[in-house]
Amino acid sequence: MEALDALLHGFGIALQPMNLLWGFIGVTLGTFIGVLPGVGPALTVAMLLPLTVKLDPTGALIMFAGIYYGAMFGGSTTTILLNTPGESASIATALEGNKMAKAGRAGPALATSAIGSFVAGTIATVLLTLVAPLVVDLALKFGPAEYFSLMVFAFITVSAVLGSSTVRGLTSLFLGLFLGIIGIDSQTGQARFAFGVPELLDGVDVVVLAVGLFAVGEALYVAAYQSRLTETMERMSGSIMMSAEDWKRSWPAWLRATAIGFPFGTIPAGGSEIPTFLSYAIEKKLSKHPEEFGNGAIEGVAGPEAANNAAATGVLVPLLTLGIPTSATAAILLGAFQNYGLQPGPLLFQSQTDLVWGLIASLYIGNIILLILNLPLIGIWVKVLSIPRDLLYAGILVFATLGAYSLHQSWVDLLTLYVFGLLGFAMRRWDIPVGPAVIGLILGPLAETQFRRALSISQGDATVFFTQPISATFLAITAALIVLPWVMRRFRRG
Amino acid sequence: MKARSPAEVALSLGVLALGIGVAAGTSMLPSEGGYAGIGPNFVPGVVGAGLVLLGGWLTYEALAGGWRGAPPDDPAERGEHAFHLPSFAWISIGLFAHMALIGTGGFVVAGVALFACVARGFGSARPVRDIAIALVLSLSVFVFFVKLLNVGLPAGWLAPLLGAAGI
Repeated sequence: MEALDALLHGFGIALQPMNLLWGFIGVTLGTFIGVLPGVGPALTVAMLLPLTVKLDPTGALIMFAGIYYGAMFGGSTTTILLNTPGESASIATALEGNKMAKAGRAGPALATSAIGSFVAGTIATVLLTLVAPLVVDLALKFGPAEYFSLMVFAFITVSAVLGSSTVRGLTSLFLGLFLGIIGIDSQTGQARFAFGVPELLDGVDVVVLAVGLFAVGEALYVAAYQSRLTETMERMSGSIMMSAEDWKRSWPAWLRATAIGFPFGTIPAGGSEIPTFLSYAIEKKLSKHPEEFGNGAIEGVAGPEAANNAAATGVLVPLLTLGIPTSATAAILLGAFQNYGLQPGPLLFQSQTDLVWGLIASLYIGNIILLILNLPLIGIWVKVLSIPRDLLYAGILVFATLGAYSLHQSWVDLLTLYVFGLLGFAMRRWDIPVGPAVIGLILGPLAETQFRRALSISQGDATVFFTQPISATFLAITAALIVLPWVMRRFRRG
Repeated sequence: MKARSPAEVALSLGVLALGIGVAAGTSMLPSEGGYAGIGPNFVPGVVGAGLVLLGGWLTYEALAGGWRGAPPDDPAERGEHAFHLPSFAWISIGLFAHMALIGTGGFVVAGVALFACVARGFGSARPVRDIAIALVLSLSVFVFFVKLLNVGLPAGWLAPLLGAAGI
């Protein structure tokens, strides 16, 4: 088997002492920062991006995969003990997990979440290992027209189809697309919307946008609307051991959630939000104890947490094989690749075999390290939670500004950061999703390149997007996604 | 038709204005595009037009009963307190102080100012404790980046002191 050979080779890379060390540092840092309330995986990855400037790409990306996974594990701890979901994918966990903690069952809640994340993460990584080479084979047949249509599909699903409002999702996407235009046009060298500012000629960096929206915006929002509220943290009391009954109720939920989470992660459906809610709904429906839901049912933690991790791994399939980020966190990870001049996609699997398979192998290792970090050592992370909020946000902003400043050593990037902070504040206050903006910034320039390449090949004939069968299929699905909900509403009404 | 929230109207018009700005900027870009037939002004034109349409749509929603599914304007309904201007201002002051100081005072001085202001914004009443913690944090980060990662950060006013300490 080709995939197995490649994976074994990958383990050879990932188990090299330095790479193992980077992986370990990644998961530890990821867990530590992911535990901090109000810091989700996207911000964790964005804040730590500047750390890698001097590392070799393989080590750095192994570290980032660890940070990505670690932030996911750390986030569940916060959700269960504090009931402040760091990201939308944790809302389902918050429903039951925090209730369990209130009832003195924080230990089993944290355990089912950690073990479930491990089981789901590992199974999903096996699926990733098997599926990725197949997608790569398919993607090798893609030309610029196919890539462009696929990107349009991703744009529409993450902004228009999901979320509470189509128009606000699209507005966020177009803001991101506009920010992506700023700088030097890669095809002609023409400066666009840079207003002669040298820092803008390089384009808007994804770190500045993500950290501005997620860290500065969040700090401004929490300070303005929540800083005078008192928070209650549930105590970690009792044993973290799960009873036989807990096990019996947890493992089917883990497996079902993996089956839901992974496929949802691989399609551009905005990451983990839908699969976690879907898993929660299914567990509620199948449970023998439906009356416990809403009062701390263990399946309601086991399912969504496993679904979250399976989806997070699934997201890596389109990211690595096609270079298409389907969540804000994935877009920032793509930024990490780009910092090294690497473009994920089928060609990366051929030109950078060591890097890609070393990275995939490191996911298996990372899952094991995370299980160890999150079960016996859970007490340490609980202490991190008790950092007072004034010091916490002050510290977050010191790191946020460090990331922006280290780009050009210029205060202009700090001003940009503050402007994005104001934008993030407004977006949070008026419920405009931030994910589409981050994806638009990263994916927009790539989509433009593919669009212009496709037209160059066809000598300016725009029908090429509709006459190539694969490209036409993507566009047809996209059109169906926009039109169908509208038609169905009409149909129901009349 | 009554606007539910003036802020929603203002934001909608902001999107509209940005769209018009992008469209105006696009008209100054060259259009020659070689084989593709489209130049560097094509995508900006599409994005500008998109923002104009979306701004119009948002304005319509804001004027016709408010944005659909937006959070309630009354903070109590959102489980929050009323907008607390001093907190918002302290954080902004901290970020601007940091911007102004980092080039001259250096990373540590700017970091301490930022940290103290933000902590103040979150209701801390213990500036001495905040400054002490900020000093330890900024110095550790400075040493870590400069010594271990070889990333240059400005030493600023503390350069003689840091130099004497061998950093």
